[in-house]
This record gives sequence, structure tokens and C-alpha cells, in this order.
Amino acid sequence: MKHTLSILLQNESGALMRVAGLFAARHCNIDSLTVAATRDPAVSQLTLVMHGADDTVEQIIKQTRKLVDVIEVTHPAASTP
Amino acid sequence: MGNPITVNMPLQKDLPSHASTHPLAGQSMSGAEVVVQVLADEGVGVLFGYSGGAILPVYDAVFRYNATHLSPLGGEPMPLIVPANEQGAGFMAAGYARASGKVGVAIVTSGPGATNMVTPVRDAMSDSVPMVVICGQVPTGALGSDAFQEAPVSNIMSPCAKHVFLLTDPERLEATLRTAFEIARSGRPGPVVVDIPKDVQNTTLTFAGEGTLPIPGYRARQHAIQTARVDDAQCDAFFDALAKARRPLIYAGGGVIAGEASATLRAFVAQFGLPVTTTLMGLGAIDTTEPLALHMLGMHGTAYANYAVEDCDFLLALGARFDDRVASVPDRFAPHARFIAQIDIDPAEIGKVKSVHWHHHGDLDRTLSRLHQFGVRHGFNFGAEGRYAHWHDHIGALKQTHALNYDRESPLIQPQAVIEAINRHTQGRAVISTGVGQHQMWAAQYFDFREPRHWLTSGSMGTMGFGLPAAIGAQFARRDAVVIDIDGDASIRMNLGELETVTTYGLPVKVVVLNNIGDGMVRQWQKLFFRGRFASSDKSLHKKDFIKAAQADGFEWAKRLEDKAELAATIADFIAFEGPAFLEVMIDPDAGVYPMVGPGATYAQMITGDFIPSRVAPAEVGDSKSDMF
Repeated sequence: MKHTLSILLQNESGALMRVAGLFAARHCNIDSLTVAATRDPAVSQLTLVMHGADDTVEQIIKQTRKLVDVIEVTHPAASTP
Repeated sequence: MGNPITVNMPLQKDLPSHASTHPLAGQSMSGAEVVVQVLADEGVGVLFGYSGGAILPVYDAVFRYNATHLSPLGGEPMPLIVPANEQGAGFMAAGYARASGKVGVAIVTSGPGATNMVTPVRDAMSDSVPMVVICGQVPTGALGSDAFQEAPVSNIMSPCAKHVFLLTDPERLEATLRTAFEIARSGRPGPVVVDIPKDVQNTTLTFAGEGTLPIPGYRARQHAIQTARVDDAQCDAFFDALAKARRPLIYAGGGVIAGEASATLRAFVAQFGLPVTTTLMGLGAIDTTEPLALHMLGMHGTAYANYAVEDCDFLLALGARFDDRVASVPDRFAPHARFIAQIDIDPAEIGKVKSVHWHHHGDLDRTLSRLHQFGVRHGFNFGAEGRYAHWHDHIGALKQTHALNYDRESPLIQPQAVIEAINRHTQGRAVISTGVGQHQMWAAQYFDFREPRHWLTSGSMGTMGFGLPAAIGAQFARRDAVVIDIDGDASIRMNLGELETVTTYGLPVKVVVLNNIGDGMVRQWQKLFFRGRFASSDKSLHKKDFIKAAQADGFEWAKRLEDKAELAATIADFIAFEGPAFLEVMIDPDAGVYPMVGPGATYAQMITGDFIPSRVAPAEVGDSKSDMF
């Protein structure tokens, strides 16, 4: 199942690495990752696409929310491949 | 997509507010002095660390602070304790934090100083221990240039720590340090690393005396945890299930210790009559000498605790995470529990391993209090009315029939007898640290634990070498306490240099080495799963004389015990000695840790060994092809 996550991230040193590293360490492959500026220069918007079982995605979202730089993670309805 | 949360990024001190009331606000200070002042403001009473080029300005500021300030107890207000190796400093800070509940602080230099700190940081993360680790770093201009003693600390530490700050803006130094403490101690505690380039330490700054970084996402989530309340409907559902249960059991983890919920748990148990088993990390959450306490569950838990888990029909998990040392086969864990409830401060732990019927993520102490009050208000006195009397009888019988036991008749000294002999003196009141392996499990099994924060062990990471430095840190946290490192001959070798640290600082730490001439736990697994091929785990060719080593490091009391007949007298003498003491005990090298729930096995397949009765025929042991670990 393909999942698209939207992550709001503080623009801190190493923040992007921490998000990408979390997915790598938890054996979750990122299919695509886009980083965009927001109206607030201190905040970036990440759009991340991955494949995984629903419970895997649910757990990785919870883990992502534990990262201090992460402001919010949203998971719009899961889309089919 | 718009931002659902508006973020104010300027430092909070920049927001219009009252003037700081800090007596030093507005003073000019170097970055290094700011570091030390924030440490003082955070109540840090001891530092652990090793010097080096990139951290020298901070070390100098600590020196000057200690030269010009006096502790209320006399002496230096912030003594800096120097280990043999930075890893030692990390475990000292962790031992201090585990024994006190306060944030442990370690300060090291860049490059190797910082990389030697990776293991303690990861260890603290895995066991949810609050620490702040300050690392010197090459100057900002040299970052990324492969400079002398440069390591990418932020990259290396990020996946190992709760959070890492790389400080490239001196203006953010003060707020960052304060925020590091906030993050380390809030929510599920953990280690925070602050990497400070040398030029930032040397920058002249104006001390604000207040202010933290904006971390809006983190704070919003912490606020949600702090305000999360179990509503009446949830309380109803919980007590409905408990009222229907006939064999309810509490499974308490390290979260009870970290969340300071031990007293609340004990009151809850008294009111509602639920027996309690704890994880390795939860030992001391409840007084293990109490009738309803089942000591530890899991891979090397007591047989009676594991049987109680098999038998229970209601399980309440408190600050426990169903990890593989407890629930190796999650689907078969507590197979008869019709209702599993879980309370944890970390939402990611709810249902991570095993799905539960009822859960709450929030502060454990407050949640348990709330359930307790709700129960009392609705007239539930399951404890006093003896609702679970049959279950209590069953628990009592399990404890009697399947009590821990070992080869008491052997002419060789059994390690369990050594722990029992020490326990007769300490009565569950000593602070115990350990290395990792068989000695760790024997200590967990055979000591009584009457209070929280008396048991310091590397649970999740399982780091050999933890015991000695952790005991040193704990002795700084608990000057009054008897602190004993129960170690193994292999584990203690990993940080043997810290023996000298014990005597340098005149600490009355007691060190016990249970010497079985090798990596005992590895050997146990090789016996069971690799047909006795002892690859690399035998140390009979090793030449070290531990007694000479301890004496060389200044231990006045250093003895080797080889005769079983002298056990009681030697232990009495050892414990009674006022200063640092080192006792090596030559134990039966074939002694095993039992019970054992093998990797990938269920509790029903538990092996109880030759001296603990099992209620089923021993299970077949696995083989080396198993991927379980």
C-alpha cells in the first residue's frame, strides 16, 4: 500500500537527516521525498511517499511525532498503488 | 497546503515579556561561562567528563566557577569527575540519573571524546534515562573540513539520542542549553546532546537569565500528554473488566520508576488487590518482599511470575513495552488474558507489539491516581473484600512451589549464594548496579528490591561495562547509600580503568566480581544452542589477577574468595568495610541462569533447570539456525 505523509518540520540543523534516518533505521523505504519552503521561513514542508503495511505506517508516524523538530505529521487517506 | 500550526520562531526571550529576574541577567559572559551558569541554574551538582582541546573553554569556566562558589554542603558546587574513558563518564552520568531521577550531565571534547560517548547515549535512550551531554566541537569555520578531532557528532548522535543540537549561532546557546534540560526530563526521558563549537564557547555574550527555544510540535505533544485525562467512560470500562476478572495481574515496567509512580502503584495494589510482576527495568517499583509481588517476569524471570502471566485473565501493563525479553512471542504472551490494558507516556508504545483492549497515553502517576480515585468513589474495595482470594492463594502456591533455587549442595561457590549472602546484609536497601550477562540476571533474581532507583542496570542495550561507572555516578547521587557493583569478570574488564576513579575520589563503592572465567551468558547459549562449541567465550588463558589490579588502583580492601565455607564471613567483612572494597568470587563456571524462556519460545516452554520445579515437561531446546536473539 502506498502512503503519502505530510510533515511540517522546523528548519533546524540536522532536522531532515533525523526524519530520513528514522525511516532508514526502522527499515522503511522512502519512495520519494520533496522538501518545500512554507510562508514561514523557519518551517519546511516535507512530502514523503512510502510503501508499507498500514500498521507499519501507523507506527512510523508515531515515531516521527517523537522527533523534536517535527511540528506535525498528517497522513491523508491512504492511496492504492 | 497551509500550516495547521502557526510558529513563532524567535527565541522566547525575544518575545515582549517581563524583564528577567535572574541576578546575572544582562551580564557579559563568554559562551563557556553561559554553559556553566545554565548548568548551575538547572541544579546540576556534579559533572562527569574528560577534557580535550575543543572543550577547554568550558572546562576552564567550570574551574573558575568552582573556585569562586561554595556548595551549600561545603566544597565545590559542581565538582567535575574525571573517568578513565569518556564512556565511563557517560555511564557515571547515567548512574547518577538513574539513582536520583535528576538529569545526569557529561561533558566531553570533540571527535573521539564524543564518539566514546555514543554508547552511553544510546544506552540512556534505550532505558529512558534523562541526560544532557555537552560535546566540544571544532570551530564553526572548520566544520566539515576533516579537522583534527572532528567527528560529525550531530549525524552520529541523532539516531541514538532523544535530540541533538549543533550550536552554530552563539545567540542561541543559552536558550538551547535550557531547552536541552527540558527535553531530557519531559515526557519519556532521554539523553540530549549539545554539540558546541569552540568559537561559540569563546564568543562574548549577554546573559539573559531566561528563555528557551521554540519547539512548538514537541511542546504541543507534551502539553497533550500532561493534560490527557481518563474520562469516566474509560474508567467505567476499566473497572467493568476488572470486576469481571478472576485473575488480574499488573505488569509494571521502567515507566513506573521514571514516572515516579511507585507510591501510587503500591496504593493501587493495596486497594484493588492485583498481584504485580515487574520487568528488569521495573524492579523496585513495588517492594519485592510483599506477598503480592512476583518479582521479575520474562526470559529470566521467576517461574512463578511467568506462570502467573500464563494464568492471568486480565493484564494491566504500566510503563512497559512488551519487548522481546518479556514477550518473545507476542501472540502467545498472556494467552488467557481476556482484557489487556496499557498505560504509557509514549503513544508510540501503545499497541506497538501487542494490541490491547484499553489504553491511555499520559502521565502514569496521574492516570493511576485517577483510576484509583474513581474506583474508591464507586466503592470498589477489591483488596479489602478479598475478591481475588482464590487467585491470591494460587499466586502464593506458585511462589512456594516454583521458588527460585539453585545447587545448594555443590562444593563450588554458587553465584546465587553470593547474592543471597549480600542481600542478608543489605535487605533490599542497597543501590545495586551491574554489568551485563549471567551475573546481572542472578542479581536481578536474588536481590530484594524495596524501593525504586536502587537497581541500575543496562536493560535494553545490554551494555557490558556499565556496572562500575554507574556505581560511581550513583554514589555521587546517594552519598549515604551502600552502593554495590555486581559485575562479571568479562563485563568489568570493559571499563576496568574506572577502578582507579573509585579510589581517586575516595568513594566507598563496593565491587563484586563473580568470576566464572569467561562470558558466562554467551557460554550458556552456546551450551544450549551451539552444542557446547565455546567460540571466544572461554577466558581460562587470560592472565589478569583482579586482586593485584584492584590493589594497584588503590583498593586497600581487595580479596579473592575461593572457599565456600568462608562466604558468609567474607561478605560480612566486605560490606562492613568503610571505604572502597573489591571482592572477587571464584564461582562455579557451569552455573546457569534459570528459569529461561529461550529466544522465540513461549512461557509455556520455559526451562526451569534442575533446581526449580516446572509444571510441564521441559521443552525441546532450539538450535543455532534460529534467528531469534
